[in-house]
Amino acid sequence: MMADCAPEEIAVIGNIDHTSAELKNNIRNSMVEMEKGLLRKMEISVAEAEKRSGKNAVNMLETYTVYLIETRPVDAVTEDMTPAPDLLWRRYSEFELLRNYLLVTYPFVVVAPLPEKRAEIAWHKLSADNMDPDFVERRRVGLENFLLRVACHPVLCNDKIFYLFLTEEKGWKEMVYDTGFQAKADSWLKATNAAFRVKNPDKRFTELKHYSDELQAVLSQLLRVRARVADRLYGVYKVHGNYGRVFSEWSAIEKEMGDGLQSAGHHVDVYAASVDDILEEEENYADQLKEYLFYTDALRAVCRKHELTQFELETAAQDLASKKQQKEELVTGTVRTFSFKGMASKLFGQETAEQREAKIQVLEQQIDEGEEAVKEKNKESEDFVKTAWVDVERFKEQKDRDLKEALISYAIMQISMCKKGIQVWTNAKECFNKM
Amino acid sequence: MSASTPKALASSGQKPIQEMCHPLGLEEAAGVLTPSPDVGNTRNSIGEKDLSLPNGTPVETSSPASSSSLLNRLQLDDDLDGETRDLFVTVDDPRKHVSTMETYITYRVATKTTRVEFDLPEYSVRRRYQDFDWLRTRLEDSQPTHLIPPLPEKFVMKGVVDRFSEEFVETRRKALDKFLKRVADHPVLSFNEHLNAFLSAKDLNKRQGLALLTKMGESVKYVTGGYKLRARPMEFAAMGEYLDMFTPKLGTIDRIAQRIIKEQSEYLVELREYGPVYSTWAVSEAELEEPLEGVASCIANCSSALDELTEDMSEDFLPVLREYVLYVESMKSVLKKRDSVQAEYEAKLEASASRKEEGTTTAVPTDVEKCQDKVECFNADLKADWDRWQNNKRQDFRQLLTGMADHNIHYYEKCLTAWESVIPLLQDQQSQETRSDIEKD
Repeated sequence: MMADCAPEEIAVIGNIDHTSAELKNNIRNSMVEMEKGLLRKMEISVAEAEKRSGKNAVNMLETYTVYLIETRPVDAVTEDMTPAPDLLWRRYSEFELLRNYLLVTYPFVVVAPLPEKRAEIAWHKLSADNMDPDFVERRRVGLENFLLRVACHPVLCNDKIFYLFLTEEKGWKEMVYDTGFQAKADSWLKATNAAFRVKNPDKRFTELKHYSDELQAVLSQLLRVRARVADRLYGVYKVHGNYGRVFSEWSAIEKEMGDGLQSAGHHVDVYAASVDDILEEEENYADQLKEYLFYTDALRAVCRKHELTQFELETAAQDLASKKQQKEELVTGTVRTFSFKGMASKLFGQETAEQREAKIQVLEQQIDEGEEAVKEKNKESEDFVKTAWVDVERFKEQKDRDLKEALISYAIMQISMCKKGIQVWTNAKECFNKM
Repeated sequence: MSASTPKALASSGQKPIQEMCHPLGLEEAAGVLTPSPDVGNTRNSIGEKDLSLPNGTPVETSSPASSSSLLNRLQLDDDLDGETRDLFVTVDDPRKHVSTMETYITYRVATKTTRVEFDLPEYSVRRRYQDFDWLRTRLEDSQPTHLIPPLPEKFVMKGVVDRFSEEFVETRRKALDKFLKRVADHPVLSFNEHLNAFLSAKDLNKRQGLALLTKMGESVKYVTGGYKLRARPMEFAAMGEYLDMFTPKLGTIDRIAQRIIKEQSEYLVELREYGPVYSTWAVSEAELEEPLEGVASCIANCSSALDELTEDMSEDFLPVLREYVLYVESMKSVLKKRDSVQAEYEAKLEASASRKEEGTTTAVPTDVEKCQDKVECFNADLKADWDRWQNNKRQDFRQLLTGMADHNIHYYEKCLTAWESVIPLLQDQQSQETRSDIEKD
């Protein structure tokens, strides 16, 4: 929970009594409670998921999942009535389209990630099947989270396309393409894939890039190991279930010992069964970590954009410098650097004064243009650095808050698990004592 | 002498000793699980009241190890119905002996007693496993109608188990201690000459055993095979059936316990990799550094607790189960012996009956009568031992299983403490101030 919403529940250690539903998305709850951005005006939720079948682009029948987005104006909810929400259905690919649009249109924003397309980091019990109901449910939660993040964002919440995503089911796709973002997306893609070296990147962005690489590595490892830990924990608990059976059989051949054994066996069965709930809750923690793992891509994208603008600036500046130098050489008649023109003039004789004058004219114009370009690029770069860094700072604060929240929930889960363990073994011990 | 246990062999008519507290219970309650003689001091707080032996002599606290178990026996003796104890034994203080020929371990066997059969009230001798084995064999030979408690396994695979490791020696010591206590508690076995020699002789001359045959009269040699049993009395048949059903349960429980230990060990391996990842993460962070380090050290604490749990279960739980398998084997062989004694009697009876018919004799021959006596004695001894065994079994398993529950409870308590200590690290200064405000209300 946020610092200003019910920290007492957590602080009183002896009384940690969160229900699993509360814990399930404490970060989502805090976003809603904060009522920032669009959330001040409307409630947003991804209420349901449904399977659909239809013909796809190549006329083949496919099954896919659609998600129900419910919106309702905040002030529509009065004491007397709660009007029905507006509804529309979206599939995952439409969420992806929205996100790509936002990435391209607001390159200085660390855009929230979407939940996994496919279940990749899962422990054995979870199915990697996209149609698995547990997976679909967790994805539904993840999509809602994404929408809330965007709705909360000081810049993104004002975007028209985002608003239409929530309100206009038909024709939304066409509207997105009408913005012409696709062209920008293509050139952006080309630029990011090209290799280029930036001479003077802003140090903060270089550090940020390192940080996102480190965070990605450590969160990947953490999620992998956690999944293995969950696997093993499952094994430990489930094997205890065998005691229940043998105690029951054994109690049948005993006289005085029988009752104690039988009832103890029941408690050990309860213990063995409890692991299912425990691990289901832990999946929420894993999902919260995953969100930040995926966030590192967005961080890297912002750094990359900075590098690109910086590179364009440096290229423009370099061009300008070389034009100026060329002009100087022509004016003073000295050739400082090797050039084919220089060689040619040496071999074929000097140019005429008019030829040289013409060249100088051209160069002077190019220099003027170049200086404009450099000014422009400089402003672009500066603006980008400014706006991007504001969003990076916002992101950092959000990350620290959310991850602390996630760790608290995790600790609370562990505490609850320990208490249950103590309880069940104490019960079993009482039964054993009666043997 | 206030001791009410008879010297002679318990024959039919004697009431079996029912509610005698099992020595195992005392051992565990005393917490005397280490070989060091200092251990007894931890329990001295219990012995605040004025304790004395049944005949009025005060309890000496000079030899700590045996006196601690002494104190605890007296403690638990409160619920006995008048039954008193006058023979207390302990096995402790394992020591390694290295000679040119071999290396072996000896244990101190300490005895405190008021019985007249012993010259002194206290003894302290050193014995090795071989000596215990000798004692057991002598007991089996001289008291064939009784159930002799089992010894821990004699042979250990040299490559697989380290015979001189602390764990192995300690496990063995506990089992030897249990063995000796069970013998010392037995109303008949405890009066055996060989036990006396074992407890008191400076040097155990094992060849002595052959000369010290039982005073019971004729040597009891049993014919194995040759005679077929006609009708096993119901109660002994029931015993056999029970053992046949009980043995597989023991096996299953052993397998489950081993499997759990294995799963826990694998869980531990993963935990030991899991914790440090939080530390690695902490390095990249600023505000989250402290909380993440907190989580890492918390997981490390849980790992240690799990390690302890697994170790405790290996050391305390599995050996006792295995011992019961051996115990069941002993009981089965005594039942078989009883069967063959009865078979012999039946055969002789039948032979004499047919001779009677032929008219060659009129009286029942004395050897048939003797056989009948043998059968009746055996049946009575066995029944008494069976009841004792059932009772001890009940107490042993109660203790074993409550011990298992306790180990798990302690494990979860340790983990709980570790995780609770992480919570304050995860909260802002701000909300901590809020908390202290709330707690003031």
